Amino acid sequence: MAMHEGQGSIERRAFLRVAGAATGAAVTGGIPAIVGAQKAPSFPKGTKLSILEWVSFVPASDVEFKRLAAEFGKLAGVDVTVDQINMNDLNPRITSAIETKAGPDIIMMISNWPHLYADGLADVDDVAEEIAQRDGAYYEHNKKVSVVGNRWKAVPLCSVPSTWAYREDWFKEAGAGKWPDTWDELRKVGIELKKKNRPMGQAFGHSLGDPNNWAYSVTWGFGGAEVDQSGKVVINSKETLEAVKFTVAFWKDCLDEGGLAWDDSSNNRAYLAGTISATINGASIYFVAKRQFPDIAKVTNHGHMPKGPGGRFYSIGGQGRAIMKYSKNQQAAKEFLRWFMDRPQYDKWMAANDGYVVGPTPYWEKHPLWERDPKLVPFKEASKFGRWPGYPGAPSRKASEALVKYILVDMYAQAIKGMKPEDAVKWAEGELKKAYA
Amino acid sequence: MADQRIEPILAESARPTAVAIPAPVAVSVPGFRRPRRLGQLLERQDILAVVLLAPTLTILTLFIAYPFVLGIWLAVSDKVVGRPGAFVGLENFRVNLNDSIFLRAFQNTFVYTFIATALKLALGMLAALLLNHHFRFKRIVRASMLLPWIVPTVLSTLAWQWMFDATFSVFNWMLMNAGLISKRILWLGDGTLAMGCLIAVNVWRGMPFFAITLLAGLQTVNPDLHEAAEIDGANAWQRYWRVTLPLIKPIMLVVVLFSMIATFADFQLIYVLTRGGPYSSTHVFGTYAYEIAMRAAKLGQGASISLSLFPFLLAVIVFQLWYIRRSD
Amino acid sequence: MAVRYGSPLKRAATFYVPLGLMVGATLFPFYWMVITSVRPDNELYNVQMNPFFTLHPTFKHFQDLFALTMFARWAWNTIFIATVSTGISLFCGLLAGYALARLEFRWAAPLGTLIFVTYLVPPTLLFIPLGDVVQTFGIGDTPWAVILTYPTFLIPFCTWLLMGYFKTIPREIEDCARIDGASRIQAMIRITFPLAVPGILSAGIFAFTLSWNEFLYALVFLSSPQQKTIPIGVFTELVRGDVFYWGPLMAGALLGSIPVALVYSFFVEHYVTALTGAVKG
Repeated sequence: MAMHEGQGSIERRAFLRVAGAATGAAVTGGIPAIVGAQKAPSFPKGTKLSILEWVSFVPASDVEFKRLAAEFGKLAGVDVTVDQINMNDLNPRITSAIETKAGPDIIMMISNWPHLYADGLADVDDVAEEIAQRDGAYYEHNKKVSVVGNRWKAVPLCSVPSTWAYREDWFKEAGAGKWPDTWDELRKVGIELKKKNRPMGQAFGHSLGDPNNWAYSVTWGFGGAEVDQSGKVVINSKETLEAVKFTVAFWKDCLDEGGLAWDDSSNNRAYLAGTISATINGASIYFVAKRQFPDIAKVTNHGHMPKGPGGRFYSIGGQGRAIMKYSKNQQAAKEFLRWFMDRPQYDKWMAANDGYVVGPTPYWEKHPLWERDPKLVPFKEASKFGRWPGYPGAPSRKASEALVKYILVDMYAQAIKGMKPEDAVKWAEGELKKAYA
Repeated sequence: MADQRIEPILAESARPTAVAIPAPVAVSVPGFRRPRRLGQLLERQDILAVVLLAPTLTILTLFIAYPFVLGIWLAVSDKVVGRPGAFVGLENFRVNLNDSIFLRAFQNTFVYTFIATALKLALGMLAALLLNHHFRFKRIVRASMLLPWIVPTVLSTLAWQWMFDATFSVFNWMLMNAGLISKRILWLGDGTLAMGCLIAVNVWRGMPFFAITLLAGLQTVNPDLHEAAEIDGANAWQRYWRVTLPLIKPIMLVVVLFSMIATFADFQLIYVLTRGGPYSSTHVFGTYAYEIAMRAAKLGQGASISLSLFPFLLAVIVFQLWYIRRSD
Repeated sequence: MAVRYGSPLKRAATFYVPLGLMVGATLFPFYWMVITSVRPDNELYNVQMNPFFTLHPTFKHFQDLFALTMFARWAWNTIFIATVSTGISLFCGLLAGYALARLEFRWAAPLGTLIFVTYLVPPTLLFIPLGDVVQTFGIGDTPWAVILTYPTFLIPFCTWLLMGYFKTIPREIEDCARIDGASRIQAMIRITFPLAVPGILSAGIFAFTLSWNEFLYALVFLSSPQQKTIPIGVFTELVRGDVFYWGPLMAGALLGSIPVALVYSFFVEHYVTALTGAVKG
């Protein structure tokens, strides 16, 4: 399943030279020379390090991660084990690990999890700040989800933005030479497309990614928000109402009726089967298409989340890696994170991800892979518009409660099902007040 | 074969009048043998009972009693992941009662359990009656009926998810090609329909348990009774209703009991198929408790949702145990 | 039970047709799994194609299953875990069931109910505190973590089923043996237990299936890839966020159930007889 090994290796080597030079310069800034010299420190014999990650949507990424982990193990003389599981199943494992004070030393944190599990996570300020110093400041959402109070509870790893994957050929036939810039323009094209039985697709069920992507980005795009900066519920606004009304219209005019029954995987399948013309997704559709449906990959491109009256927004949680407070190997764990986030290693991992992940700092916007496939550029740019759950408030535990109760998603879903938009917003207000109480 | 040896005995015991073995006069004759001290102790019923129950009680105490008490403590605390909780009394339950999603989950749990159990019973009974005939490939058919119950639930549920898929549903493909529908049906896209699908999958999975167990029940029914009823002029339906049903009622209650408990606490199936969506219309206690405890990290609140199930289960069970004892 | 039918036509209408429908509905999803596991990907994603068969069957998904995952290892784990935990539960259930059914002592009835009530406690409530216990014993991430926790829901079931079964074995047989000089324990082991073999078998099959399928405890208590069971391994490693590996997933589901079904088919007749015993519980 290894993909494109060797592909682009020349650019990468060139890039590494530059990156290496930069690292060299930064060594004086605090990164131990030992790491700069690509040598990990060694630990007492028998030191173990276990890492729990999600199963990446990109198989090659997992292969590369395991390879890197093994490499670190050899360099540092540490026995490294990696377990990768479906991201939905991480929560019970983390909860159980923290409560029983036993389990992996490093666990991947998705979105605002550092806030949820803050009490069980060790501080990683030194590592996180070193990287920021070397590579430039983190994107705001990466920082927001990782810093709890004023301590870093996770080292930001990357973002996995979702942009619109769309059929260039069909859009052209519907009169759109390029990807529409605003929601209204998108709707206009959508109307044409649906007339030709090529609707766009969007999930409104209870799955983790896609429905929330819509609910949050669109609410913000129209100027609404669930809470204000202080955490007061402000969902019941003219702006949110507009967003709901727009969504209902968009549903009728442009979207596939399947959406309410969809989960995160449905739009991938529908798109690859050619039954929808566009959908919000990570790069996974494009990857699978490149591997198995090259004809579809050829006519697929990616477009930005359109602008609304409130601006352009992406709902991006970002991902990080946390060291568990109970871990007896915190030093080794820290060294691993430091080593992994160092440029030579991160570069390889990012290349294996082939555009699916975006680095946590703007430094990685310069990675050559973005030039190799310009169709992936929107992913890179999306990070700038990224916002966290609960924005503009904190990505707190309360924001999580709103998220797991699918309040925003259900506000839209119920309106689509025929509830009056005003009532849907009012319902959401009531529920949010309970969640944020 | 053990069962061949036992069958005549069972047949005997099924007829209360046929106890042929004389009751023993005395429990043991003194001086007959000299058991060692330990052996003597084990002759005492209460001591032997303690010894025999020890492994079970040890395991259950270690692995259930203590966690259960801890679970109850969670439900009356404001515990979140990683932080010690404080006692908050019934606050969590008060919050639940004001939570529309909880109330919906409450209602769903009952609808799901009762409809699914009723269907499993009806279809399981029908299957048992059919399987009780003699026909070719009887063994293979009986064994294959067990398949849905054997395959790991998460994986069979994934297969169902694939069959209910909005775009690729094989049911839609069939219905459309048969000209029965012109627009695809969104199986999981509507609250009521999705609930129906969940129940259907649960019935599919649980029915074999009913069928095979009830089949066992049917085989204890003495054919003589049927013949007698037939001579008296009872038709097939009357024979079933008057003769068969009363005889297999005890085992039926047992199956219903076990199945109901499992269905009440069901989690995997709904979690995989709908995760409680669309618009929180298919949450049950299990899935909602899981979301709150695991994904919002509110262990106390989650435990209180899980625990809300317990009194109802207990009531159902106490009633059924009482009923079974009474009919003993 | 002999049921007579008037004519072949009537027999078809009242027997073969309903039976056929029933078997069809039961097995259809399996047919679906089989088809999915042998269809190449580009057919799986084609809405136009007849989904009921494939012209290009492939074993690639099965190969992938073994190449991409540690399926063989998981299968072995699952067999080991299910066998040992079933063994433990049967042992406990057998002794407890006998005590509750046969011996007269003060707390018999309440203890019976208590053991039963433990079956009611929802696993979603238990698994966090249970994790604590597992850690205390230092068995986290070893097969013993689940081998020792599965009995919590298996023992109540086995005890209860066997209790019912013992009640159907005439007490007099045992009493005779005791008159002949056998001790209580000898009578129990030599006389009553052998008569209960079908009951043991049926409890065993139930217990084995339940531990074969268990998800939540296995997910939480077993973390290394080489410790996983089939349901956990296949589900957690072949669902990649929004991409499902349908072929290997279904291949895993089939390989994870067909062998058990075959074994059961040998037992099913015993099993039917065995449950007969529990009827009069």
